[in-house]
Amino acid sequence: MRGHRLFGIGLGAILLLASCGGSTGNNTGTQKSVGGVLTIDNESGALWQCDFNPYNGSVNGQSFGILYEPLVYDNLLNDQKTNWLASGYKWSADSKTLTFTIRSGVKWSDGQDFSADDVVFSFNLLKQFPAADLQSDWSVLSSVTKQGSDQVVMTFQQAAVPNFYQIAGQTAIVPQHIWSAFKDPASQPVKQPVGTGPFTMSACTGQNIAYKRNPSYWQKGLPYIDTVNYPAFLDNDPANAFLAAGQAQWGGQFIPNIDTYYVGKDPHNNHYWFPPIDNINVWLNTTVAPLDNKAVRQAMAYGIDRGAVSQKGEFGYEPAGNQTGVLSPTFDSWIDKGQADKYGYKLDVTKAQGLLQSAGFSKGTDGIYKDASGKRLSFSIINIAGYTDWVASVQVIQDNLKQVGIEIKPVNLEATSYFDKLFTGNFQLAYGSVNTSPGPSPYYELRNSLHSATTASIGQTAAGDYGRYKNPTLDGLFDQFGQTTDQAKQHNLIKQVEAIILEDVPIIPVTEGVAWYQYSTKDFAGWPTKDNPFAAPAPWNLPDWEVTLLHVYKKS
Amino acid sequence: MSYLVRRLEFFFITLWATLTMNFILPRIMPGNPAEAMLVRYHGRVSPQTIKAIEVAFGLNSNESIFQQYLEYLRNTVTGNFGTSVTFFPVPVGDVIKQGLPWTLGLVGMATIIAFALGTLLGMLSAWRRGGIFDAILPPVFIVISAFPYFWLGLLFLLAFALTLGWFPLGFAYDLTDSINLSWSFAGQVLWHGFLPALTIVITSVGGWILTMRNTMITTLAEDYVKMARAKGLSPVRIMLMYAGRNAILPNLTGFAMSLGFVISGAILVEIVFNYPGLGFTLLQAVHSEDYALMQTLFLMITLAVLLAVLAADVLTAILDPRTREQG
Repeated sequence: MRGHRLFGIGLGAILLLASCGGSTGNNTGTQKSVGGVLTIDNESGALWQCDFNPYNGSVNGQSFGILYEPLVYDNLLNDQKTNWLASGYKWSADSKTLTFTIRSGVKWSDGQDFSADDVVFSFNLLKQFPAADLQSDWSVLSSVTKQGSDQVVMTFQQAAVPNFYQIAGQTAIVPQHIWSAFKDPASQPVKQPVGTGPFTMSACTGQNIAYKRNPSYWQKGLPYIDTVNYPAFLDNDPANAFLAAGQAQWGGQFIPNIDTYYVGKDPHNNHYWFPPIDNINVWLNTTVAPLDNKAVRQAMAYGIDRGAVSQKGEFGYEPAGNQTGVLSPTFDSWIDKGQADKYGYKLDVTKAQGLLQSAGFSKGTDGIYKDASGKRLSFSIINIAGYTDWVASVQVIQDNLKQVGIEIKPVNLEATSYFDKLFTGNFQLAYGSVNTSPGPSPYYELRNSLHSATTASIGQTAAGDYGRYKNPTLDGLFDQFGQTTDQAKQHNLIKQVEAIILEDVPIIPVTEGVAWYQYSTKDFAGWPTKDNPFAAPAPWNLPDWEVTLLHVYKKS
Repeated sequence: MSYLVRRLEFFFITLWATLTMNFILPRIMPGNPAEAMLVRYHGRVSPQTIKAIEVAFGLNSNESIFQQYLEYLRNTVTGNFGTSVTFFPVPVGDVIKQGLPWTLGLVGMATIIAFALGTLLGMLSAWRRGGIFDAILPPVFIVISAFPYFWLGLLFLLAFALTLGWFPLGFAYDLTDSINLSWSFAGQVLWHGFLPALTIVITSVGGWILTMRNTMITTLAEDYVKMARAKGLSPVRIMLMYAGRNAILPNLTGFAMSLGFVISGAILVEIVFNYPGLGFTLLQAVHSEDYALMQTLFLMITLAVLLAVLAADVLTAILDPRTREQG
């Protein structure tokens, strides 16, 4: 997961000198037979502790999905819902009651039957132990009870349609007959996991976890793969070398110069796909003058060449963002093209300067605009010093805005003090993303970035909306979204949200963070691709990695 | 005897000072462990998760700093090091147990080999001063020891593991194997440890050669060496027992200290070779503001260095009667 940012470019460049080991691929095998050993290559930044507790936030990445499953699989990239441990679900008319029908014929990996009791137990366990409630399910739930033999009824404090993603899609179900003995489920070390998933943990050392195929998995005939190895990598560079040498087939971290370093080793079989999953923004602290002035914010949005930032700062791996705040191409169906084109936010110095002039700013002798009292448009922007790509990106932004006549002074901080300043609103401008787990529609990120319920006063820690932006109309749109299951209505609401972001510029999306994903088709097929995005593709996308592992098979 | 008593006094005062520093330093770092967790996951955890983690970590405790200090001292003495935040909920002791054998094995062996080899080579090149050996060896190793060792490690990895495929791409033993007592496992450990150990030995041997050579040259001019020669003792005996024994004294403390620092591991070598040692664990503890883990590791390092220096003092006292008399 640490591989999200572009670390260790210098060290990686040396390894780049590695010579190629060519090989020819064979893409014709379509017979899906059981077998094969697949190795995952994902920098974990630590040795494995061999703890398979899905309710412990520091280790759930090794168990949620592949060992413990959710009720419904909700694809992060397109919100496609597939019934999983639930065979069906239904919202009540007022969207305050959600009824699941629990799948029959599912067995725990120790042979016991899975039932609705396990589901009720799991959710009530999270209620009893808030430390285990990683998704804050109980911030919206009010009760979870069993109905009949195979139904689970959830009632909510208020209409909470988008929370379906967290509750049905992101909450692991655990076996009552084992977990009822645990005193503190959040910190209980689970060495011998029992789950419903397609694999079971067969061996674990600090260096590697081996998962074996679960022969009694409820999806008959699945999975195809016999063994999955998950080595622990301390840093990007050894992980990248391992992947490029063909010793692993599925990668999930940043590789500098990927076309030469990875694809070039075996152009026929080595591939990558980086779907965007969040925005990297310039956050504007709207409590600081003159950033509370819409004209200044708009001028800045017209003063940034997003394409150049993507190319120069992010090597083109992370695409340029757009001012609607909706990720493209991931959520293209939600974007209001017409409105976006009307504003046409791109580097436009004349337009930006025009906006500043009509707002009463005048250009000083040093080329920087000043307000009537002579105060220069000069802002500091906080950033994380260790994220070399972000630092490079801000340099591009700095150059862009200087052309317009706005001065930006980068302050590159150690990560912890950066987050401290960001969360408490102790900044003028900040570069970064919203630090919440992404969701399957634009609603999640935009709400977390801009809904005033997620903010806090200056000095207090805000869960989102670091810019302290407050707009009751916008809040209302998000709240309405939460009350409807009607797709058309939801799209309409997001379009109104986009209109506000375009006009008011409470935030400036600059580039789009991606899920790093590399895969080799030399021995395995069935991978998620741009054209067939059946799952978010990185090995650290939970529980999507399970779905990927159910599709991938060894070529015969 | 009073010499040893003084050494022991010094040992305990330093120990208390380091214990206290060890308590204070991590607490003046900015941020808190939950925020550090965010950094580690690159924002892939929600604030709700962070809140849940904070509750689990017990970060909302209202204990005064003095109470914490007393508890820290008590826990340290009783060997109760608490729970690691980085590897929550694993006890600190278990985290350290996982990395310690590998660090001791790799860095410890490499340090001993480098010292033994360096001392021997230094002795030889001083013995045949101006010979071919002396003309080539010291300059070559001075140049090599100026290389950053991770760079040399990367080069070795590139040449011998990635290109030639003679050695594995990291890890301490075969990926799919587990720790066991067998010849094949021992072979794996040696095979996997060869390149990292070679890196450390090559970059650190130069220093030992040079210091040993220089002190040896001074010693060789001493009267007792001339005397031994005049008595017709065998050259090997003079080199080892007369000149070598005296020349090694200044190096001994240096060696003891570097043995003490073995526990801190070799962070960059561990990263380059993806080797499961304590160095990287320490780096992680600092990054994650994992007070318990950090303190325990620093404590172990200082304790090891202090003990090693104490041992070197005792050894010096045995090898060199003068230190005893001066006390």
